[in-house]
Amino acid sequence: MERNRLYECMLLLDNREVKKDWEGLKKDVTAKFTKHGVEILSARRWEERRLAYPIQRQKRGTYVLVYFKGATKSANSIRRELELHEPVLRYLMLSAEEVPASAYEPEAAFDPNKIPADDYVESPSREPRVPEPAVVPDAGEATRAAGNGEAQG
Amino acid sequence: MSDFQDTMGDRGGRGPRRPSKFSKFGARGRAPVIPEEPLDYKNLGYLARFLTAQGKIYSRKRTGFSGQDQRKLALAVKNARFLGLLPFVGRV
Repeated sequence: MERNRLYECMLLLDNREVKKDWEGLKKDVTAKFTKHGVEILSARRWEERRLAYPIQRQKRGTYVLVYFKGATKSANSIRRELELHEPVLRYLMLSAEEVPASAYEPEAAFDPNKIPADDYVESPSREPRVPEPAVVPDAGEATRAAGNGEAQG
Repeated sequence: MSDFQDTMGDRGGRGPRRPSKFSKFGARGRAPVIPEEPLDYKNLGYLARFLTAQGKIYSRKRTGFSGQDQRKLALAVKNARFLGLLPFVGRV
């Protein structure tokens, strides 16, 4: 017998995708849940914030918190689906005791264009490499080396 | 009966052994600290109170939590770290 459980799922979304089309992305993500026949109780933006460490070279991210009720099998299918969905940088799915009252409050206004721009870390490996200048011993160093040789000899 | 047997088994009618006076977690009989707020990975302000400046979790001796609550704290911090809400190492 399939048992329905209450789950909470925190998703970390890529701000590049959020800036492109926030409403579309949210719909897209919630569709991943409803596709597997679960009942979404609440799906709202939790916070847009700076990350404690860069994830996929992103310094900031948008968190979405989803509460849903569904079978264990569906939860596993959703996990697989989220793994493959590129705008989802990280997700954490846990079983929940109850849906907090704050989950049903209307979402605060969110303007993706107001996200600070300093949200991208340049990868050092992607910068064009400058060839190091060849080390040519100058005349002074050569004579010093010769002098040392004489002194030792 | 030798002294060794006395401490390990029958205490010769002296009743149960008292907890050690030199307990690892302070004086005997002290009740564990009860968390004031839920130990949840979303409750970052509260979790940060139990982390060092480098982001390490305080020991039970420092938090005073029961074993059960200390495990909840550790799990909450680890979940928050995974989601990029708290650092693995570095300034909290």
